[in-house]
Amino acid sequence: MRARHLLAVSVWLVVLLGCAIIVSRATVAVDITGFLPRDPTPAQRLLAEQLRNGVVARLILVGIEGDDAPHLARISADMTARLRTQPEFASVDNGQLAGLEKDRDLLWRSRYLLSPAVVPGHFSESALRAALQDDLQLLGSPASQMVERTLANDPTGEFLRLLEGMTGRGHPDLQEGVWFSSDGSRALMVLQTHAQGYDGVAQRAVLSRIQAAFSAARQESGSTAARLLMTGPAVFSIETHDIIEHDAMRYSLIAIALVAGLLLALYRSPRMLIIGLLPLATGALVGVAAVALAFDGVVHGVTLGFGPTLIGEGADYAIYLFTQMTVRMPAEDALKRIWPTLRVGVVTSVLGFGALLWSGFPGLAQLGLFSVAGLLAAVLVTRYVLPGWVPRGYAMDAAGVLAPVLETALDRMRVLRWVLIAGTAAAAGFLALRPGAVWNDGLESLSPVPEQARRLDQRLRADMGAPDVRYLAVISAADRDEALAFSERAAEALAPLVAGGALQGYESPSEYLPSLQTQMARRAALPGPEMLRAGLHRAASGLPFQDGLFEPFLKDVETARGQPALDAAALHGTRLGLKTESLLMPHEAGWNAVLPLSGVTDAAAIAAALAAAVPGHAVFMDLRRESDDLFAAYRREIEHYALGGMVLIALFLAAVLRSARRVARVLLPLAAALVLTSAVLLIMSGPFSIFHLIGLLLVVAVGSNYALFFDGQSLAAEGRSRVLASLVFANLATVMGFGILAFSKVPVLHAIGATVGLGALLSLVCSAVLAAGPTAAMTARAA
Amino acid sequence: MIIGRNVALLLAAACAWSAPAAAAPPDTAPAWGLPELMQALAGVKESKAVFSERKYLHVLRAPADFSGTLSYTAPDHLEKITLRPSRERMVLDGDMVVMENEARSQRRTLKLSAYPAIGAMVEGMRSTLAGDLATLSRFYTVQLNGDEEAWRLVLSPVDSQARAMISEIRIKGSGSRIVSIESIEPDGDRSVMDITEERP
Repeated sequence: MRARHLLAVSVWLVVLLGCAIIVSRATVAVDITGFLPRDPTPAQRLLAEQLRNGVVARLILVGIEGDDAPHLARISADMTARLRTQPEFASVDNGQLAGLEKDRDLLWRSRYLLSPAVVPGHFSESALRAALQDDLQLLGSPASQMVERTLANDPTGEFLRLLEGMTGRGHPDLQEGVWFSSDGSRALMVLQTHAQGYDGVAQRAVLSRIQAAFSAARQESGSTAARLLMTGPAVFSIETHDIIEHDAMRYSLIAIALVAGLLLALYRSPRMLIIGLLPLATGALVGVAAVALAFDGVVHGVTLGFGPTLIGEGADYAIYLFTQMTVRMPAEDALKRIWPTLRVGVVTSVLGFGALLWSGFPGLAQLGLFSVAGLLAAVLVTRYVLPGWVPRGYAMDAAGVLAPVLETALDRMRVLRWVLIAGTAAAAGFLALRPGAVWNDGLESLSPVPEQARRLDQRLRADMGAPDVRYLAVISAADRDEALAFSERAAEALAPLVAGGALQGYESPSEYLPSLQTQMARRAALPGPEMLRAGLHRAASGLPFQDGLFEPFLKDVETARGQPALDAAALHGTRLGLKTESLLMPHEAGWNAVLPLSGVTDAAAIAAALAAAVPGHAVFMDLRRESDDLFAAYRREIEHYALGGMVLIALFLAAVLRSARRVARVLLPLAAALVLTSAVLLIMSGPFSIFHLIGLLLVVAVGSNYALFFDGQSLAAEGRSRVLASLVFANLATVMGFGILAFSKVPVLHAIGATVGLGALLSLVCSAVLAAGPTAAMTARAA
Repeated sequence: MIIGRNVALLLAAACAWSAPAAAAPPDTAPAWGLPELMQALAGVKESKAVFSERKYLHVLRAPADFSGTLSYTAPDHLEKITLRPSRERMVLDGDMVVMENEARSQRRTLKLSAYPAIGAMVEGMRSTLAGDLATLSRFYTVQLNGDEEAWRLVLSPVDSQARAMISEIRIKGSGSRIVSIESIEPDGDRSVMDITEERP
């Protein structure tokens, strides 16, 4: 016996070591790829790309408030100067004109390549005459000084037109030279990071940079009252992470204290408490290692977060074992008594979770593998490692005292049989007939972002005139220039829709960097020097402009006729360049261009116009609907595989129990518990999220064990009362451990806590009422 | 920058004609001076006028003429509508300036405080409207020539940025009525605006 245990412990240690090595080499994927199907549609791929690395994901809005405008403006300017020197930021904008010189210079020098007005005929005599007459009007207008400054070089006003286009677009008000909210209470900044929005480590560094720049700038300004506000996907993901961590930590500590207190009271031995945790701990480690092995060393955050929950059943194994032990019943014998049932219970759970292995979502497949590997490891540790470490002669006194009482109590609950059946039927009816959706597939059902943070986000976005980007036109092309050319065609198709009111506006990278072809076409539209001079002369006749005033114009046009087309490098270091970069991105098969659309009212018209303008290369994307659809698909998969798992479980039980009656006695309580739990949760907290579903999976795993143990015939009669006691203890631990999470305000913790806590309790009650057949009870009593 | 000068002019114009002619000066004002003038200018709550403006610009061979209407409502609402040669509208409302050109369907809005140099000028003009000589003096060197019947106010910007846009504003008036505003730019461009108040 000793030798065998020694061998088991050795194997266990080697496995642990191996797993530790594998796990230490694994990387954790914290982005949403785990929620992406293995073969994503183009739209889903774009969605993931956008959420991970898009313009939207790398945006941080900053507000500075709490002091008077001059102080806030000084802090804003100082922060901007500081942050612009930091490598983490792709751009830092606060509305200051300083830093725009390069852009102005670029617009000025390349105005004839960049201006969309440059088409054939733009410099004809009649067009020039109209332009000069416009100029005359402008000289009498408030814009006269600027017109005067540019008139000689640019009588057709290309530069002013471009400048208007670049700066006139929905920017917030300026005060003291920097962006301010319209009520003047907040200075505003827009930051774009290099790091991906979901790269928690990098974004955390980014946020602390901003914080540090603010502190330094505030001190410099002499303000003590100014406060820093930040929002954006990165801020959200970090806040979310912190909130979950904080809540998870707090509630876990309470749960651990409660459960440990309960187990200590039962075991009266710290050593037993620690030994009892080994199966679960081993299971978690083996689970992660198995996933890392099977998925090329990449473990999704989802797996790490929910895997240990799913194998929560592993914590029960030790309770089942220890409760059986008496002075005359050492661990090995106790184990032999429960092993047949435990084995069936583990296989049942493995079948249930194993179905997830076939999921098309890597995240779900990982959860399935984690659970299967983890539970098998946990039960093997319980079977082969634990018994040798339990002190000989250990007896759980509490079990001896409580077992008969609990057995009687549980058996008496059978009088509730009809009440429970009626209640379950009512709950089933409610679920079937209930109006409204059972599932909440909206992303916000998953988002633990507190209401307050969400409101701040809305406020800053409103201040910035930067509504949450929900709609995009996404162009796919073979190369960068084609992406620009397609963007131009898409933009052309969108322009009449803006006029028609189908949307308010759009932004296209081609506005900042036109395609090669377009630039060439504009260059070709510039007339030769003789023709231009003659046309201009006739156009200006009778107008009061000084003679020879437009010589610089003639020279500039001639220069432009020989000017090379702009490329990405020419835009380097300008804000236009940054804008272009943020809207153009390479991917494995080419390039994508993204055109953010605002104020969309007629999605169908836009989608149709895009499809017609760039057939096969333009996708109209509703980020929100795509992500909702994606999560709905994810949830449906869990549902399907969970149902598949149930069928497998039923078949397996039929094979093992060889009695339809007994199969029903195991499955019915489980089904009743699920129905009742679902109904209660729906009434109490509204539609379900994925987290509720994950909770229900655990309820199946735990509850099937209860039902199996209650199915009396699988147990020797003399152990029955202790088995039932062990179920109550395990159940108490589960209900305490998870129930406490239900008090968390974080949706994920609350959902799992409430579901598992309630579900486990109802599973035990249903098993007690429905599973314990009269024969079993009578057999037990007769014995 | 461009806008600033015009706003300043607009305000100057408003200041210029806002004093009601009806408010006849006292018969014997032994010490008529800047404070008295400012007080009179600040007294008006609402008024309308027509203007004709002639601009001498170095890009033009001949001066360009513009005309239209002005209206003012205390304390800080000013409107300049150019009717000839083409219609254009500019409104100053508190801190906001709106410029509209219906023919081009253009509309631009900006906040004066966004441009400190312009802001300084406007603040100066606003304080003129309010009869606040102390504030006005912070932004301009103010010089008053002539007498109550025919006076000339010369405003020279103190701030160097403001001086880069405008060298001097000369406001001519009689009693509390202002008849013309002349502004001179550093590059020699200048404009003269004659103002005729509309009698209600």
